[in-house]
Amino acid sequence: MVRNDEAGPDIVGQALAKNRLGVPSVVFFGVAGAAPLTVIIGAISAIYAIIGSTAVPIAYLVVAGILSMFTVGFVAMSRHIVNSGAFYSYISHGLGRVTGVGAAFVALPAYSLMQIGLFGLFGSAASGILAQFGFKVPWFACAIAAWAIVAVLGLLWVDLSGRVLAVLLVAEISIVLLYDLVMVGHPANHHVTFSTFSPAPLLTPVVGSLLVLAIAGFVGFEATVVLSEEAKDPKRTIARATHWAVLLAGLLCSLSAWAMSVATGPDRIAAVAKAHQTDLVFYLVSTHLPTALVDVGYLLFLTSVFAALLAFHAAVARYQFALGREGVLPAAWGHTHPRTGAPLAGSLTQSLLALGVLSAYAAAHAEPLVYVFAWLTTIGGLGVLILMWAASAAVFAFFTRNRRGESVWRAYLAPTLSFLLLSGVLTATLIGFGDLLQVPKSSPFQWLIPALYVGVALVGVIWALIMRAGRPEVYAAIGRGADGRVGAAPDNPVSRPLHADPVGARGRPY
Amino acid sequence: MLADQFFLIAHEDRTGRSRLHPRATGLGLAAALLAELVLDGRLGITDGDLMILDRRPPADALAHDVLDLLIAQSRHRDVRTWLAFLSQDAAARVGERLMRLGAVEPVTRRRMLGTQTLYMPNSAEQRNAAAWAGARLANLLVRGVELSVSDRVLVGLVTATGLTRHVLYDFEMHRHAFQALPTAVESLPGDLRELVEFTEASVGSVLTVGRR
Repeated sequence: MVRNDEAGPDIVGQALAKNRLGVPSVVFFGVAGAAPLTVIIGAISAIYAIIGSTAVPIAYLVVAGILSMFTVGFVAMSRHIVNSGAFYSYISHGLGRVTGVGAAFVALPAYSLMQIGLFGLFGSAASGILAQFGFKVPWFACAIAAWAIVAVLGLLWVDLSGRVLAVLLVAEISIVLLYDLVMVGHPANHHVTFSTFSPAPLLTPVVGSLLVLAIAGFVGFEATVVLSEEAKDPKRTIARATHWAVLLAGLLCSLSAWAMSVATGPDRIAAVAKAHQTDLVFYLVSTHLPTALVDVGYLLFLTSVFAALLAFHAAVARYQFALGREGVLPAAWGHTHPRTGAPLAGSLTQSLLALGVLSAYAAAHAEPLVYVFAWLTTIGGLGVLILMWAASAAVFAFFTRNRRGESVWRAYLAPTLSFLLLSGVLTATLIGFGDLLQVPKSSPFQWLIPALYVGVALVGVIWALIMRAGRPEVYAAIGRGADGRVGAAPDNPVSRPLHADPVGARGRPY
Repeated sequence: MLADQFFLIAHEDRTGRSRLHPRATGLGLAAALLAELVLDGRLGITDGDLMILDRRPPADALAHDVLDLLIAQSRHRDVRTWLAFLSQDAAARVGERLMRLGAVEPVTRRRMLGTQTLYMPNSAEQRNAAAWAGARLANLLVRGVELSVSDRVLVGLVTATGLTRHVLYDFEMHRHAFQALPTAVESLPGDLRELVEFTEASVGSVLTVGRR
């Protein structure tokens, strides 16, 4: 009997598509990690205050451009590797497993420090807001309260559901646009200036610090590729959503940074930012808006930082879970709570680490905004920049071996360009790292932090070599993400059809 | 049958709740349904693709249904696509089959929104039978006897979905059994071993995303 197998509706495809994510949901997932209000209220005012450069708006545009370029090759590669969770799995596919484990060892402290840094922002912002209501609460108490909630939610693996995030995000974006409108509507000296978009300052030594701080505001956009198996059309949904996430964050931050400079006048922005810190935007708009709208802004700022804390916590725990499942970290990190799927060990590790670091800061009576938030997120941002740089090299190397049907632009041109651009940013950052931390020229911190990253990367490389010698079957599975195996013979030709490729690299059969 | 055994192991006998993340349970049940067809000689798996070997309807109504869908939707061959598709309602469908066998009863509970039907053992006799599913497997593993192919697939799916600690709950008593797990899976025929691997990979990525 011959039957026409292609006739009739695609029942399976439709049933699966119904539960899958479209472009907007993936964009929300990507932007939520970067939490625009956190970046705009927290990071931009900090950048103005610390760097004192007026080129912040153009810096965000430039970074959005570089990251869009990077996204082209990155997303193209994500279609060709299974369970593409994190930068290090790209790096192990493109540059080999030894480099991949080195990258994983850079990623762990980088993401972890970024999350801990956000506790500083939350603590200082919350204690500032409580002080306005007449309650004197130290930043440490607020940070610990947030820490406790994040730790519990992390163990229960409660993600803010897509809908809650979407509502929060839309509210955040609306309030940002409203504030921007008010700030631009009341310019200093009654004159709207576009001088902060001038690219000229980007040719001065300050460019490195500016760009790395701007990049820190985008961290999280790479998480969209985690959802590739949950997306309606794995080929197109993720690519579009990732580009949207980068563009949305870039435009919003650039616009707001410009609006702030208009409201104070470009010549005074650094001084005003230093005086008001994270209160900068609220200070600028409060004279022109009813108090209710300013209070809503404060509230949304807190929820935004909290959402970012939760997103980063989940990201760190997920990273450790993937590494544990692959055998790079001890097996305990690869276990999840059976019912909830929470990566318990990873979640606990991050919570305890955060508690330790925060307590150390509190004991040292360090100022939370500079030494917790600015320092830790800058140090974490440097790590993420190193990862992005290595990932762009990995994308290039991956497609050089085999183009896999991608266009020349996606396989060669965009990855090469983004690698060169990111190399430039990384070099400039390393040169100006001391200024970034605001330490004197003689301070060991300006070379100590990059050296420590090189150190952990080397530890990772050595660990990979030890694994290759001692546990070759575990080593062979590195880079497969959570795509683990129960008990298959590692050299079974049936389950490894593409033996010339890195393990797990096989085209999506869609 | 295989999926029935997995259902009884994967659900708490007193509350009817899934012991695993519901999506992981669904994937395990979907894999068990496909494995039943493989064991029946109706289906083969090569390089991640399903192949229909025999179109004659199986005796069991649910297996018949699944095979008909596989034949009708032949444009989809990928194992992971079918695991994802079948996992969506596998728990309800295997639950219904167990109900027809008299092993469970439907219990409808009010939820915050709407109602939810659970299939759970209700009488003492049914509970005994349900608890036996896991105990039997543990017993076989501890005694180290030769397992049937069907039981080895069950062991593989239990391991792949993360139910091992529920079956082998006593670390001292079951210590030998843990060592028998990898061999049980490795000695499976190629297509069933592939099925177990794809199940573990799917469970892994579902848990990584952490979406409900």
